[in-house]
Amino acid sequence: MSTVTLTIDGRQVTVPEGTSLLHAAQEIGVEVPHYCYHPALSAPAQCRLCLVDVEGAPKPMPSCVTQAQDGQVVRTDDGLAREMRKGVLEFYLINHPLDCPICDQSGECKLQDYVHSEGRAHGRGIEPKRVFGRDDFGGDVLFYGDRCVMCTRCVRFMEEMAQDPVLTVVERGDRAVIDTFFEQGLRDSPYAGNIVDICPVGALVSKDFLHKARAWDLDHTPSVCPNCSQGCNIDIHTRDNVVHRLKPRENPEVNGHWMCDYGRGRYEWMNRGDRIEEPFVRGDGGWSAPGWHAALASLRERLEACRGPVRAVAAAHASNEDLAALRELMDRLGGGDIVYRSPRAPDEVPLPGFPVLTRRRDLAPNTRGAELLGLRRVGSDDATGGLEEVAAGAGALIALADELADQPEDFGSRAELFVYLGAHPAPAARSAHFVLPVTTFAEQEGTFTSVQTRVQRFEPALRAAGHAQPAWQVLGSLAASLAGRPAPASASEVFDRLAAGVPEYEGLSYDRIGARGTAVDRPAALAGER
Amino acid sequence: MSGPARAPFRNPGWAGNVGEFDLSEADVRGTDFVGERPLDGGHPSVAPSYPYMLPGKDPGAVLFEGPYRERFEKIRSRYPTARGALLPTLNLAQELRGHISPETMDEVAALLGLPMAEVRGTVTFYTMYNKRPVGRFLIQVCTNISCSLCKGEEVLNAFLRHTGTELGETSRDGDFTVIEVECLAACGFPVAVQINSRYYENVLPDDVPALLQRLREHGE
Repeated sequence: MSTVTLTIDGRQVTVPEGTSLLHAAQEIGVEVPHYCYHPALSAPAQCRLCLVDVEGAPKPMPSCVTQAQDGQVVRTDDGLAREMRKGVLEFYLINHPLDCPICDQSGECKLQDYVHSEGRAHGRGIEPKRVFGRDDFGGDVLFYGDRCVMCTRCVRFMEEMAQDPVLTVVERGDRAVIDTFFEQGLRDSPYAGNIVDICPVGALVSKDFLHKARAWDLDHTPSVCPNCSQGCNIDIHTRDNVVHRLKPRENPEVNGHWMCDYGRGRYEWMNRGDRIEEPFVRGDGGWSAPGWHAALASLRERLEACRGPVRAVAAAHASNEDLAALRELMDRLGGGDIVYRSPRAPDEVPLPGFPVLTRRRDLAPNTRGAELLGLRRVGSDDATGGLEEVAAGAGALIALADELADQPEDFGSRAELFVYLGAHPAPAARSAHFVLPVTTFAEQEGTFTSVQTRVQRFEPALRAAGHAQPAWQVLGSLAASLAGRPAPASASEVFDRLAAGVPEYEGLSYDRIGARGTAVDRPAALAGER
Repeated sequence: MSGPARAPFRNPGWAGNVGEFDLSEADVRGTDFVGERPLDGGHPSVAPSYPYMLPGKDPGAVLFEGPYRERFEKIRSRYPTARGALLPTLNLAQELRGHISPETMDEVAALLGLPMAEVRGTVTFYTMYNKRPVGRFLIQVCTNISCSLCKGEEVLNAFLRHTGTELGETSRDGDFTVIEVECLAACGFPVAVQINSRYYENVLPDDVPALLQRLREHGE
């Protein structure tokens, strides 16, 4: 591919032919302010904020659509470009309500950022501002017309990505406003939540997140969406150990810039307060809470004494590390069958403009990972039933991460030893001999394997509840002590052992997986999947 | 008002009629453009451009039937995309119904296979689509620079006073809707007033009662 070399702000940069000035500037770390341009959408060049000074050009050029030319001399930060942006920003503020103190976008607002960095310090307007008020677009989307900068990113998202053009610009001039067809709303478009993300200002806000937290108080933890097997890369936004929202994290091979409303809206379970916080042991005299050390020591004795087959029921919400530790423990105890249950939707919901992103049928994040570890799926599509066989036998029975909410109190009563590892108490746990608190995926480090057979890491966003520990730590230390090895010190170590044992994961490590995950090279399996 | 005596009011004032020449509208525009226009639009090349805003309006008219269906088909055939045919189709709908209601937008969107939201965006962008019902005569008074210098506001107020309506409202008898418009592109003949599809030029506040009387009695 041929390249062009140009000068931006006095620095030379070489980019492929056809690159826009805005991208070329990004190459050398110069961020040209812009609203209407979004890398995944068409560029109408209408916000007039990314105008730059090109030597020899008769007037400022919109950098988002101007192609870089050989020998061009571009200035983004000198007198003219700055003066011009200052003027454009002043126009943007003519009717902007400046209600930053009550605006959810405050702190992550492009208008706020740009005006703060290069706008006028004082407004000169004396005319009254026009007022639109709010409009409920339906779904999770609320529209504040006064804050809108008319970039039309949302209109173009609905047109080009969702391919359900329900948004438009209504009226003209200073009366122009984004709206749907009268009261029709967004008609429950399954990806509409993304227009809140791409809105550069506070015009489109999430009703769910409305007035919950200030942007600067939120911690962002890179993670993977746990709500289907697509494995969208997300950031979990938390404040004071509470998850407040999920936001997509860009990954061009999985979810682009987007995520679906189904995944986005299902995070409340991470905040559940009904948690098991102590390891409990049921003895002859009833329940006791002896602490982790004593509980595990006694569990190890019981496991060694236990004769007969070992069976386990797991959930596809558990990480690869948790499942691998369970598998290793089972192997150490003489091998046995692991089944898992997971909810399954009747259909898939693709994003038409970016069909790689699809809300998959499997509504658990790690079904592929469970399959690769030899787990067998049982039960119905709503993740109930199917455990008769597992519950029937004697010997040891281990439940991991599956809440067994549909099972009766005497679920494990036929087993010689029933170990319940879970985050939440459930009726079935009453028949357990050991109830061990484990962390949810949001409280631990680990990996999921997505439907694309792509291994992706997530990091802990919340503190563990009480004395809960990651399941890989509990099961891994048991297996290690049975084998006379030191207990695994980190999830990464558990994964390394897993990678050595499963051919698909050969050669993988946390370092190699990286922040955006690694697709396991299995073209045949992938072809069958699509 | 002093000065030379003005020619008697002789509107309808086609462009250029300052009352000094004894020319008919046909003399100026040519006979092809005067008289009855075919409802089916005539030749397809001119079907989209026929005048609209006729006094006869039926808000319940069907979109489209009879000659209007023919005209719609001709319009559609002249544009490569449905989107291109949107404006003339809306013109036609407004000619029939007098205004573009949300239901009309919905029907036009269905006719052309366009998103409803896009039709709404288009209709609201253009000011010459009436979003509400208007009277038999839609009186548009220019108050832009030239007309304003020649008492455009006074002409506007005269229309409001003599029709007994508020700006943008329709008179009680359903005859008149008076609105203020920006430039009508007749700056040489202020004050310019457009009533339905016809221009009335050089209008003075004193002309208004006679003009309204003429409209009441003879139509346009």
